[in-house]
Amino acid sequence: MSEMTYLRAISDGLRTEMRDDERVLLMGEDIGVYGGAFKVTDGFIEEFGADRVMDTPLAESGIVGTAVGAAVVGLRPVCEMQFADFVSCGFDQIINVAGKMLYRQGLPVNITVRLPSGGGFSGGPFHSQNPEAWFMHSPGLKVVAPSTAEDAKGLIIASIRDPNPVIYMEHKNLYRRVKGEVPEGSYETPFSARVARPGTDLVVITYGAMVHTALEATEDLDDASIMVLDLRSLVPLDEAAILAAVHECSKVVIVDEANQTCAAGAQVAALIAEYGFEDLDGPVVRVASPDVPIPFSPTLEAAVLPSVDRIREACRQLLEY
Amino acid sequence: MPQMGVSVAEGTVVEWRKQTGDWVEADETICEISTDKIDTEVPAPAAGRLVEVLVAVGATVDVGVTLARISTDARPGEPHSSEDDAPPAATASAPAASSSAGVPRGAPSAASDRERRPSPAAGGSAARRYSPVVQRIADEHGVDLAEVQGTGREGRVQKKDVMAVVAARGGSATRAPSADAAEPVMHIESPYRPGAGASVSGPYTPPEGRPLSRMRQAIGVHMKQSQVTAATCTTWIEVDVSRIEIARKKLAITALPLIARCTIGALVEFPLLNAWLEHDVHTVHEQVNLGIAVALGEDGLIVPVVRGAQDLSPEGLSRRIRDLARRARSRQLSPDDVHGATFTITNPGQFGSMMATPVIAQPQVAILDVEAIVKRPVVVTDQFGDDAIAIRPMVILGLSWDHRALDGALAARFLASVKKRVESYEL
Repeated sequence: MSEMTYLRAISDGLRTEMRDDERVLLMGEDIGVYGGAFKVTDGFIEEFGADRVMDTPLAESGIVGTAVGAAVVGLRPVCEMQFADFVSCGFDQIINVAGKMLYRQGLPVNITVRLPSGGGFSGGPFHSQNPEAWFMHSPGLKVVAPSTAEDAKGLIIASIRDPNPVIYMEHKNLYRRVKGEVPEGSYETPFSARVARPGTDLVVITYGAMVHTALEATEDLDDASIMVLDLRSLVPLDEAAILAAVHECSKVVIVDEANQTCAAGAQVAALIAEYGFEDLDGPVVRVASPDVPIPFSPTLEAAVLPSVDRIREACRQLLEY
Repeated sequence: MPQMGVSVAEGTVVEWRKQTGDWVEADETICEISTDKIDTEVPAPAAGRLVEVLVAVGATVDVGVTLARISTDARPGEPHSSEDDAPPAATASAPAASSSAGVPRGAPSAASDRERRPSPAAGGSAARRYSPVVQRIADEHGVDLAEVQGTGREGRVQKKDVMAVVAARGGSATRAPSADAAEPVMHIESPYRPGAGASVSGPYTPPEGRPLSRMRQAIGVHMKQSQVTAATCTTWIEVDVSRIEIARKKLAITALPLIARCTIGALVEFPLLNAWLEHDVHTVHEQVNLGIAVALGEDGLIVPVVRGAQDLSPEGLSRRIRDLARRARSRQLSPDDVHGATFTITNPGQFGSMMATPVIAQPQVAILDVEAIVKRPVVVTDQFGDDAIAIRPMVILGLSWDHRALDGALAARFLASVKKRVESYEL
C-alpha cells in the first residue's frame, strides 16, 4: 500500500497493466512527449516507447476508430479523450461501431476510452461536462466512474481486461484533490457499487466526485444515520445494491453532477420506483445540475453544480418528511 | 349476508373490522365472513356511520340476513353517543347530534382515535396518506396506522414511527406470521434446541383442543359427502414424460400445465369424464372448466377453476393457474373463481409421493392425480424392434372415477389417451 492521488492511481493502473500485458497501448492527444494534458501518462513514452504511447492528431473519431481496429486484431488499446467534452467528435465510432460490433459480427471490441470529466474549477461549457449518460443509453458499452484512488486503479485495470468497450469516467476535480491508500501490484475493482458510509435513515446514491460532496454534506446532519452508496459502475448498474440500500433506509436522495434530464440518477430513480416501491417512505429526491451548460463564472458555476449545502438541504427536507 | 356465489346458502361472521359508531366509507371493509366456498371481506354498500351490528362474531346466518345497519344521513366528524366529551375543535361548529342513542361504548379507543385522526371531511388528507413502506410494515405487524403518532411533516407517519410501535410491542401483540414462526436457526448453529424438560412419566396431559377451522369443516363435509355418494374407484397408469420435460424447459413453465393440456385433449375425446352426476341427472359438458387443487399450507386447500380450458395453450394454462394459485394463497379469489369445475386435477407430487386415491369433487365424476416425476429404468423399443433399458422421467397418473357414471374400461381408455398425448407431445 502507498498513498497516492487519484491521478497517480490511474497512472499506476495503466503502467501496471502495460507492464503485465504487451497488448495494451495508449492513444491520445499529447499523451506521449507532453505526458498528457493532466500528466496522467507522464514518463510513459520513455518506458514503453512511441509505439505503445501514441500521440495522435486532434481527431477523436480517428483515435477511437483506430482503437477499434486494433482491438479487433487482438490489441487492447486505451484511448484518452483530452476532455470528456470532446468525445462527441468520436461518438459515431463508439456508439455505432464499437458498441455494436459484437452484436453484428461477433467480434469483441476490447477498448477502454478514458474521459476526464466534470467541473468545479471554472472550466466553462466545453471542459466541465459529465456525458456518461449518453453512453449508458447506448447498448454494448460499459460505463464506470471511480471516486477513490483505490477504485481508480482497480477500475482502469478491470476496464482494460473487460472484453467490452468500456467508457472510463475520471473526474478532473478529483485528480489531485483526492488521495488514498492504493494497493501495490495488479488488482481489479468489480463493476459493482460500494457503500461509502453505512447508515439507516436515508441513503444518498451517487458516483464520481459527488460521492465526496455527499459524504461531506451528510457527515453530521442532525444526528441522522445516512448511508452513501457509491455506484462505481453505471453500466452494469448494481441494481441489487441499490435496492438493498433502499430497503434499509427507505428514503433516497440521488445526486448527479450531470445535467438533470436523463442523467444516470434518472435510471436509478426509475429502478427504485419500479422495484423498490414498497420500501419507500418518501418521494425519491434528485439533486443534479439544472439543464444548462456549465458557466465559466465561478459564482455561477457554484450555483449550478450540486453543492454540499444543496445536498444537505435535500436530505434534511426528506428526513423531516 | 351477501350471496357469495350461486350455491352458497349461509355464512359465518369471522371478524368485525368496524365497530358500532365508526364512520365507514363506501366499499370500505366492515367485516370478514366465511362461507363453505370462500373466506372474504364484506364492503360497505354506502358511506355512513355504523349504528348497529346485528350478527355477532362466530354466528352463522342465512344469505340475505341483515348483518349491520349504516346510517347514511350521519355526517363524518360528528361524535356519536359513546363519545361523551366535547367535539374536537375542527368540527366544533357541527351539531353534536347523536345518530345512535343508547349504543354502548364500542371500540375502546374511539375517543383517542378522534383526537389524533383528522376527520375524513377535514380536508387535510395528506396526513392520512401513508408511504408504501409504512403500509407494508403496518400490514405485516397488524398495526392500526390511525393510532400511530406521526413525527413527519404535518404529523405524517414515518417508517421510524411505525417501527417504534412494533418495537414497543416487542412482537408479542403482533399478528404477523413471522412473529409466530420460531426463530430461524443460523446455519452455523446446531438445530438442536433443548425442550422444556417435560416428564414422560405419569399420566399424559394432552394440550387443549381447539374447534376445527371453518375451512377444514367445509372440506370434511364435502369429502365425506363424496365418499358416501359416489362409487369411487381408482385406476393408475405410468407415463413417460420425457417430452413434457423438454417442453417445460423450453417454455419455462412447470409440467402441470403441459399435463393439464394433454388431459384436456383427452376430456374432449371422452366427454363422459367431463361431466356432473347429481342424483340421476347426468350433465355432459362440452366446455372444460378445469379445477386445480391449490394447497393453502396446513389450513386446507381450495380448488380454483380455469374456465374454458379447452381453448388455452400450455402457456395460457400456466398463466391462469399461476394467477389463480397466487390469488388463492392471498385469499383474493372471488366466488366465481371456485365455481363450475367439470373436472379436477390435483398435483401433490412435488413432495415425492408416488400414488394416491383422490376423492372426487362432487358433482364431478372423476379427478386426476399427478404424482412425482421420478427417473426410472424402463424398457424402450427402438425402431428396429430391439429392446433396451433407458433412464426416463416417469410419473404415475391416478384417476378416481365414479362407477355410477362410467365403467373401468372407459377410465382406462381415457388414461391411455392422456398417456398417448403426453408421450407424443409435439414441441
